[in-house]
Amino acid sequence: MSTAQSTGSTVTAARPDSWRRTPPLWLYLPALAILLLFFGLPLYEGLLRSLGISNIPGVDSAFTWNHYNKLFFDPYYLGVIGETLKVSAINTLLCLLVGYPIAYFMVRHAGRWAAPLMFVLILPLLTSIIMRTFGWNVLFARRGIVNEALLWLGVIDTPLRMLDGPAIVYLGLMHVMAPFMVLSIIPVLRSVDRRLEESARILGAGAFRTFFLVTLPLSLEGIITGCLIVFMVTNGSFVTMLLLGNGSVVTLPLLIYQQFNQSQDMGLASAMGTLLLGVVLVCLYVQSGIGRKKENR
Amino acid sequence: MSLLKASSLSRLGTASLAGYALLFVTFLLAPIVIVVLTSFTPHNIVAVSFDGISLRWYERIWNYRPFMDSLVTSLVLALSATSLAILLAVPAALGLVRSTSRFADAVTSFLLSPIAVPPLVIGLSSLYFLASIGVGTSFLALLITHTVTSVPYILRTVAAACKGLSPSYGEAASVLGANGWQAFSCVTLPLILPGIFAGALFSFLVSLDNLGLSFFFGSAQASTLPVVMLSYLENQFDPAIAAISCVQMIIAMALLLIIEKAYGLRALITQ
Repeated sequence: MSTAQSTGSTVTAARPDSWRRTPPLWLYLPALAILLLFFGLPLYEGLLRSLGISNIPGVDSAFTWNHYNKLFFDPYYLGVIGETLKVSAINTLLCLLVGYPIAYFMVRHAGRWAAPLMFVLILPLLTSIIMRTFGWNVLFARRGIVNEALLWLGVIDTPLRMLDGPAIVYLGLMHVMAPFMVLSIIPVLRSVDRRLEESARILGAGAFRTFFLVTLPLSLEGIITGCLIVFMVTNGSFVTMLLLGNGSVVTLPLLIYQQFNQSQDMGLASAMGTLLLGVVLVCLYVQSGIGRKKENR
Repeated sequence: MSLLKASSLSRLGTASLAGYALLFVTFLLAPIVIVVLTSFTPHNIVAVSFDGISLRWYERIWNYRPFMDSLVTSLVLALSATSLAILLAVPAALGLVRSTSRFADAVTSFLLSPIAVPPLVIGLSSLYFLASIGVGTSFLALLITHTVTSVPYILRTVAAACKGLSPSYGEAASVLGANGWQAFSCVTLPLILPGIFAGALFSFLVSLDNLGLSFFFGSAQASTLPVVMLSYLENQFDPAIAAISCVQMIIAMALLLIIEKAYGLRALITQ
């Protein structure tokens, strides 16, 4: 056996070309060309458009900071930018607080329930986002099931207007994003070496201390990955804000959607798009930093 | 005694965690279940009916041309965009996965980046670009933008599948006299097929529900289902939306079950 192996490796060393038929690197070229043309170039043109330079016929093309001035110095737009980041941050935090215990339960205690739980986590991904917001509308309507139940229980006397405030928007966003958080934390939590927890317990740490000083720090990588995904996707979503909350939460993507449908101020819309793109790039940079740290370890 | 106390305490902890998980499951299922129930109402009001079920809203969407036409458009679009993306992403994954150069890393990051950019931003910029090269609002415009956003989903899962492959498989194939294409089609392809299917499933589902990308390119000839649903919602609020939502969910579920039967869910979850 060992002789066969050693002869094999000598032959490989002598004739590397014919023995190592790895796929050539240039195979990526078609994909790169298509994405440069239909993804990179349009985004680059969007950046130029946000600076007033456009090739749209009939529109003046001249460099200007006007759109960005408006975004950053007009209190209304500045407020919308702040609201966008705030909504994304709150939703990320909510998803983490709600999702971590679920991931923990699935990895450590679910047993035979793990598979059905996984199905329930994936099920929302199979439904359209319009379906889910429609469902919240039906549940929390003035004469909906939640109001009827509360009335019947005697908790309230008159039906509540639960569809109007921002709370329902956060509920909807959390519903869309929490599964992503759980799915990001599960693999990391699964790889945590349980002997480290046992050692902590043997050395006298209680269950809470063990969790906060051993388990939680060891699963930090999954937490950060999940948070970045939730933050990025929330930052770019608009359907939930459009269909829930009766216009109480206005974020940049929603504003882009409205600009397109109503005022068609494309320079401003492009500036808002570029700003969203900037947030994404920051998140991706943070993510790649974590990836590199992981490789160095 | 104290050991006993600790174990009953931890059992209490597990029980409350299980109760919490049940609450979470209820939260995830509630809006979906309510829409399914609403779709069977015999009445005009959007609510669950407790006095009988009917299929009248399914009949209504079957006879409402925009829903059926756009459903077909969406399915054809998702299928063609995913197929095109497979043709682009599978070779790219094969070529890039073995390379460790900085340049190859940068190319990989770029090819993955459409996942992270908000669909609305891609749609807005593509609208002008495609108009300037004469594509305009058409099925072709939908196909191009959906293909671009599908590539990373397939690249990601196929690259993961390739990383797990030992180069000795390819070597063994060459030793046995296979040429490059034979080694690929008989050895590599079957091994990365679960990765392709997992990525294709994701790409299909994302394309099917990509409102942010599609609504810029909706035209009278080709509009996708989410765009038509949104404009329907703007005009009327009736259980037809519930029915068409259920149809879309059933299609997605059937697809998931087929792929799960063929390759197992594990491939999807470990990504």
